[in-house]
Amino acid sequence: MSLPARVATLVVAFLAVVAGVLWVVFDIIGPQPTVENYSAYAKNGAVDITLMTTPETTVTNKPDWVSYFIKNPATGQFDHTTYFEVPANTKVNVTILGYDGCTPLRNPVWGRVTGVAGDVENVSYFNKGQTTPAQPVSTFDSWANCSVQHTFAIPNLGINVPVASPPTVDENNNLCATGPCVGNDDDTGNAPHSVVTFSFTTPKTAGTFRWQCFVPCGGGYVDGNGGPMGTPGYMMGQMEVQA
Amino acid sequence: MAADASSAAGAPVRPSWRRDRDTVWLLTLWIVLSIIGCLLVALVWGPHMPPGRASVQAASQATDITVLGTIAAPVVIGVLLYFGWALAFWRQKPGDETDAIPLHGNVKVQATWIVGTSAIVLALAVYGTVELISPAGAGGGQGPQPIFRNGLPPAASTTSWSPNSNNILQVQVIGQQWAWTFRYPQFGGFETTQLALPVNQPVQFNVTSLDVIHSFWAYTLGVKADANPGVNNVAYTTPTKVGDFQVRCDELCGIWHGAMYDTGVVMSDSNFMAWTKATAVQLASVTKILPPYALTYDPTNIPAGAINQALGLTSAGGGYYNPADPEQP
Repeated sequence: MSLPARVATLVVAFLAVVAGVLWVVFDIIGPQPTVENYSAYAKNGAVDITLMTTPETTVTNKPDWVSYFIKNPATGQFDHTTYFEVPANTKVNVTILGYDGCTPLRNPVWGRVTGVAGDVENVSYFNKGQTTPAQPVSTFDSWANCSVQHTFAIPNLGINVPVASPPTVDENNNLCATGPCVGNDDDTGNAPHSVVTFSFTTPKTAGTFRWQCFVPCGGGYVDGNGGPMGTPGYMMGQMEVQA
Repeated sequence: MAADASSAAGAPVRPSWRRDRDTVWLLTLWIVLSIIGCLLVALVWGPHMPPGRASVQAASQATDITVLGTIAAPVVIGVLLYFGWALAFWRQKPGDETDAIPLHGNVKVQATWIVGTSAIVLALAVYGTVELISPAGAGGGQGPQPIFRNGLPPAASTTSWSPNSNNILQVQVIGQQWAWTFRYPQFGGFETTQLALPVNQPVQFNVTSLDVIHSFWAYTLGVKADANPGVNNVAYTTPTKVGDFQVRCDELCGIWHGAMYDTGVVMSDSNFMAWTKATAVQLASVTKILPPYALTYDPTNIPAGAINQALGLTSAGGGYYNPADPEQP
């Protein structure tokens, strides 16, 4: 084989390997979720964020995966993402609309509210057009009761908030059938759901903090921790704290 | 000189006086460099050897690594010196295309090499085995029935503990995707994300997992034990320095494996007792809903309440979904 032919073969082989690596990287990792930037919406040292949990994710090609959504602060629409940005040293007031059904925690210790103001969350329930008064709750027993659907946990900040679930059999059998759960009928926005509110203060310095759910809700996967539990944009994400 | 300058086949060989000179130089250099190397490893590098000296086990492991490093230094120096000497002085001269002298073996050299290296390896094997029995090996996970107990008796009581009571402190380490929690059975069985230990008190870690395989690695305490679901893996340590230490997962366990770390703290006896008392009170509401303390847990078998049962949710293991629904991996 001539020298030019050898060089050409080497170059082609090298490019093929590079292309293969890039294809694997982009195909497996895929595009990262968009980041909802709440930094610009902070006022007087506080910012309000709204999240939503859904039993299905019909806006994606994984319609039977559970998922979180985050309200876009600019449009008011719920976007399919779990990445959000907040300013440092700021009080974050979180509202989670919990449209999914109950699931027992693998470890009941995650049933305790920690790392947020007062170590309590305020919980109310919506069903058939009625919303119950909000009640402070510090601990959920997800084994004895149908009480927890997911958790919102930032382990490195010591934050763990169980997301309350609709408590009855009837409610759990009539959950929202779309994702996100928006609309005005019983199959969408008016489906039974919980409303969970709590507050925490972001660190004084910038950083990226992962958050996750501690309910093994990746149905059909080993230990329930694959699929949506291990995919950015579904049941885990990142909080980016900006200085 | 003519007989020394060429072999019977005509290939040039080094004269014997030059071989002897090389041997003397090599031996002299090797001895001098080995002494310097051993002193550097033992006295300069040794105090900084990992994993440090924050516990009895860690200190013993650091000593072992120092001893092994000191013994290895002459071997490494000998190999590198011989290699460098050959490159510098025995290389082929320009224009010299003759073959090297044929080698027929040397019984003395071979015997010395085999006996010497065997003695070194066997001595290290004996040393390593003895050190496994002494504190160093006690930091490694040994399964549910540990052999190397560091001279410690089994816990006299698994429901109470006080400092200097000859009753080893029990700390259960529970791995789950993706966080560590720690349970203290001798203080009411509370479970927390904080790992606190008393200084100069022997500790028995009972390591297990609720899902996949993790590995509990308290690096500076000289402790590393795999966390297997359904298995109790025992490891020991005796912290000797007050302060923070890092805990990491050392078994690839999923997407957030790299973020599965924690910071533990070693504190005085009095501070530890105060911490356990305050934490037990603080966590009382969640402690009472935890499963009874056990060396392993089966999340697939839970005392499900009536509504959970009505919904078919009788497990917390993630396996309660219909295998065909939703999506299969």
